[in-house]
Formats: sequence, C-alpha cells, structure tokens
Amino acid sequence: MAVIELKNVQKVYGTGAAEVQALKQIDFKANEGEVVLIMGPSGAGKSTFLTIAGSLQKPTSGQVYINGEDIANISAKQSNALRLNQIGFVLQAYNLIPFLTVKEQFELVDHVKKQGNLNQATMDKLLEQLGITGLVNKYPSELSGGQQQRAAIARALYANPKILLADEPTASLDSKNVDEVGQLFKKLAQNYQKAVILVTHDPRLEKYADHIYEMMDGEMIKKQ
Amino acid sequence: MFLAIKEIKREKLRYGLIILMIFLISYLIFILSSLAVGLASENTQAIESWDAKQVVLNKNANVSMSQSLLTKDDLSKTKLTKNEALLGQTLVVAKNSNRPQVSAQFIGVKKDQFIYDDQELIAGRKAKKDREVVVDQAFQTKGYKLGDKLELNGSANKYRIVGFVKNAKINIAPIIYGSLASWRKLRQGMPNIKASAIISRNANYNYNHANSKTYPIAQFIKKLPGYTAQNMTFQLMIGFLFVISLIIIAVFLYILTMQKMHNFAVMRAQGIPSRTLVAATVSQSVILVVVGVIIGLAAMWLTAKVLPAAVPMSFTPQIILSGTCGMLLTGIIGSLIPVRSILKVDPAKAIGE
Ligand SMILES: Nc1ncnc2c1ncn2[C@@H]1O[C@H](COP(=O)(O)OP(=O)(O)OP(=O)(O)O)[C@@H](O)[C@H]1O
Ligand SMILES: [Mg+2]
Repeated sequence: MAVIELKNVQKVYGTGAAEVQALKQIDFKANEGEVVLIMGPSGAGKSTFLTIAGSLQKPTSGQVYINGEDIANISAKQSNALRLNQIGFVLQAYNLIPFLTVKEQFELVDHVKKQGNLNQATMDKLLEQLGITGLVNKYPSELSGGQQQRAAIARALYANPKILLADEPTASLDSKNVDEVGQLFKKLAQNYQKAVILVTHDPRLEKYADHIYEMMDGEMIKKQ
Repeated sequence: MFLAIKEIKREKLRYGLIILMIFLISYLIFILSSLAVGLASENTQAIESWDAKQVVLNKNANVSMSQSLLTKDDLSKTKLTKNEALLGQTLVVAKNSNRPQVSAQFIGVKKDQFIYDDQELIAGRKAKKDREVVVDQAFQTKGYKLGDKLELNGSANKYRIVGFVKNAKINIAPIIYGSLASWRKLRQGMPNIKASAIISRNANYNYNHANSKTYPIAQFIKKLPGYTAQNMTFQLMIGFLFVISLIIIAVFLYILTMQKMHNFAVMRAQGIPSRTLVAATVSQSVILVVVGVIIGLAAMWLTAKVLPAAVPMSFTPQIILSGTCGMLLTGIIGSLIPVRSILKVDPAKAIGE
C-alpha cells in the first residue's frame, strides 16, 4: 500500500517577475518496505519536494496523501501531530539539538508524545545496529559527523513513524560509512516496514534503492 | 521545563552570566528598598509607635510640627480624652563632656497622657521629674549610659537620662522625651504657648479652634522635611533597576533565541509544538530569575547581618515578597519578547539550509 502519494503537485514561490515554479505536476508514490531515491542537480526542487511530502509546507495545488488521507488542507495543529507521529526527518546537518545528549533527544519526544514510541528493547537493538550504543550520553558536538548522522536516524525512528524522509543523509560520510548507512536504510525499510525516501546526490546509494526518481527543473521522472 | 533545564545545564557559563546579572540587580533592589524603608521608618517610627491618626497643628505652620505653636487661646476649647496627647517638639543639640554630641528632637509630653504612658522602655524607668528624660536607643549605641546628664542647646539646666526607649525617631533624629514644662523652657519665651501639637489616636478626632487645625497623619508625614523627596528618589532608582533588568533579560533571551532559530525550526519540523518551545523560553527566564533572586536574597540577608545597627536598613518580609514578585514579573515579561519570534519559526526552514 502507498504510505505516501503526491498527485499533480505544484509549488510556486513568489509572484509576478519573482515567480519560481519549484515543482511542476509532480506524481510520486512510496510504499511500506521500500527505499526510494530522489536524485537531481542543485535547484531541481528536491528540498521543496521534501517539505511538501513532510507536511512542512502546503503545495500550491494538487493532493498529498499520507496513509490515504489528503493532507493538503489540514490545520497547523494536525500537521504538527502528523509530523510527530508519522514522519521521521533525517536532515543534512544540525538536526540534533546541540544542548541535549543523544538520550535526551529521545526523551524530548517522550515529553510531547506520550505513547507509541519505541520501547527500550527495540531502541537498544536499533542503537546497536547503528553502532552508537555507547554514545547515548554524549552531546552532538562530541560526536563525529557519521555518528551524528546515525544518532539523527535513531532520533527520527524513535517516534516510530511510517515514513522516513532524509535530506542528503550521506553528505558527510566516507565510502565505508555510506555503504553502512545504505544497508541500514534498506534494513529499516524491510524489517520495520517503513517507507524510506532519500534525497541525495550520491550515486553510491543507488544499489540500495527499490525505486529511483530523477528531478530536473521542478519535474520528476521515475527511472527505476 | 525539560528543554529549559537541559539547556541551562549544558550552557552553564552563558546562563551563569545572566544569573550573575540578575543577582546583582536584585541585590541592589533589595538594598535600596531596605534603605528606603529604613530611612522612611526613621522619619516616622515615633509617629507609628504612638499609633497617631490625627494631628492638630497651628494652621499657619505649613503642616510642620517644629514650626507649630499652640497657645492657651488655641487650646481653650479642647476636650482631651485618653486618645489625645499634647506634645511639644523642638530640635536640640545634646551635649555631655564625655560623650559625642547628638542632634535630637526634644519631645515634651504630659505624664498622664498616652504618649508618656505607652513609652516602651528597654532600660531604666520613665521620667518623673522635669529634669529627667527618657531617650532613644540611638543614644545608647553612641555610648550614653543611664544617669548621664545632658546639656540641651547649651542650657544651664542639665537633664538626667533615666531610661532608654525603642524606636523613637522622628525625621531621622533620635527623640529625647521630657516634660512639656521643660519644652516650654527650651523654647524660651512666649508665656502663652502650651504645646506644638495635639496627637490623637482617634481617626475621627477633629479640633479647629482659633489657629488650631486638624490634619490626617498621612498628610503630616508627607510634609515631614525631605520625606517625600527621599522616597521619590528611591522609588525612581528602584523603578529604573526593574526597567534595566527587564531590558537585560529581554535582550539576552532574544539573542539566545535568535541563535537557536535553526534548532527551533528543526524541532518544529519534528513535530514538537511551538507551545513547548514557548514554555521552554518562559520557564528558562523564570528559572534564571528565581536562582538570581535567591542568591540576591542570601547576599542581602548576610549584608543585613553584618551591617552595623547605625545603618538605617530594614529588610522586611514585604520587601522580599514584592522584590521577588517584581523580578519574576519582569522575567516573564522579558521572555515574552523572543516568544514572538518563536511563534513565527517556519519549520520548512529546517530543510535545505
Ligand atoms: N522559499 C523559497 N522562496 C523562493 N524560491 C525558493 C524557495 N525555496 C526554494 N526556492 C527555489 O525553488 C527552486 C528549487 O529549490 P530547492 O531548494 O527545492 O532545490 P534543491 O533541489 O533542494 O537544490 P539543492 O540540491 O541545492 O539543495 C530553486 O530555484 C530555488 O531557488
Ligand atoms: Mg536542497
């Protein structure tokens, strides 16, 4: 089943002479258990796509379905709850809160979402898979780029979302780590039944993808 | 609360500096307030100890007891109950060859009236003869002893100290309680004068005959020389301190908020409601103020303990309460300024930056 689906989505920034068509007639679909890659050059509209798929922005026109529900016109509060419960973001940098330890990043979720978060056993297993078990009491600034990235993935998964949206998840990683993270996303999709959507320039991730979309000037073409 | 505490814990230096600032300001507020209350009470403590409600003065005296003289004629129609007392006031310089000179207020009273009756002695006994006086404890701290003889305004007559009383100051000068007859002698002259004022404990007391006029005690206190000006000066300073602390808290929190804008955007993207972020900022401000004020209170308590009694400071529970509440309010208002920016955070900014 399609966990997330975009139909005929358009996004226009600005008006008049300053008008930018960031997304033109986008159709997109991702299922549970799949890793979907979105690739494309700078300015193609990849980040814009993520903000709309992640309910951070409203499309100018078109429909966005999450679990079959159109979210194009939900309230700010509903959109907030949707992000808290259904969507995990892994952002390129600084997506950990600098004054919280890794463990406290999870605790913050507990404070606003009382139920449905990963239990201790699942979390321990996940942290082990991510190789950051020993780092939970460290602050982000005490971690390497790769460790930060994996902590951010753990944070995104902690609220047990259906959809994982990642922006350039391998930007600060070397080849060996890229492979590890790629395998990890693949495993997460298959073992935890998530829809994993990765925005990336990195062709090294292609071999872990079930589908690949190519973006160019606001248009999206399914390549695989 | 969670975010607020964790952040303060992580950024100890940064928040320590803000706490230091709040501590210094609140300490200054407490000192100035204590001084203001202390000085004000040295102006009025005798009046309060009499529990005075109304005062009758000469209507041409500009509501000033030391300018007021009531003659036999002015007082001819009075009916004095147990709630009224005649009183004669004059400024004197008290001298004793072995002790420091003291500028004091001589207050002459009558033996059968309440001001005499209600004197709270801390040592000795009440004055029984015209040449005996009971004086404020300030004389004691200056080294005077029971039995010492005072020369007042260079008079040939000597007055013997037979007792010490507590809290007997008016217009910052210690009081020498003597008899009305002695007061008349000190005023040297006009045989017709009877007293400076009638003090009444009855709020409805009213006597307006010849040159006599009755004033409510509040009006009388306001007109004490320097009293109103002094209080206003303190109020102005304290008011400014609150404004300064408001600005400091607001500016600091605003700058810190601006630095955290990206983190806020990330948290908003993660679905953390803006209510949580606003609560974190406000409670952070409250925590900073509470810690700063508690340190300020402790420092003030120490200060009050080590300061010599001669410094007119009175650190009352009311100062603690109003100072603390004032600072808390300031902190909350100050933290509302960055809240506007927090509410405007665009979660979409978390991506692609
Ligand atoms: N908030 C905005 N206001 C106006 N125009 C915008 C805004 N955000 C993006 N754009 C424009 O929309 C287009 C797509 O931008 P987007 O950030 O989605 O590209 P991208 O594929 O993520 O690029 P990159 O790989 O550099 O991150 C660009 O032309 C950009 O200038
Ligand atoms: Mg981008």
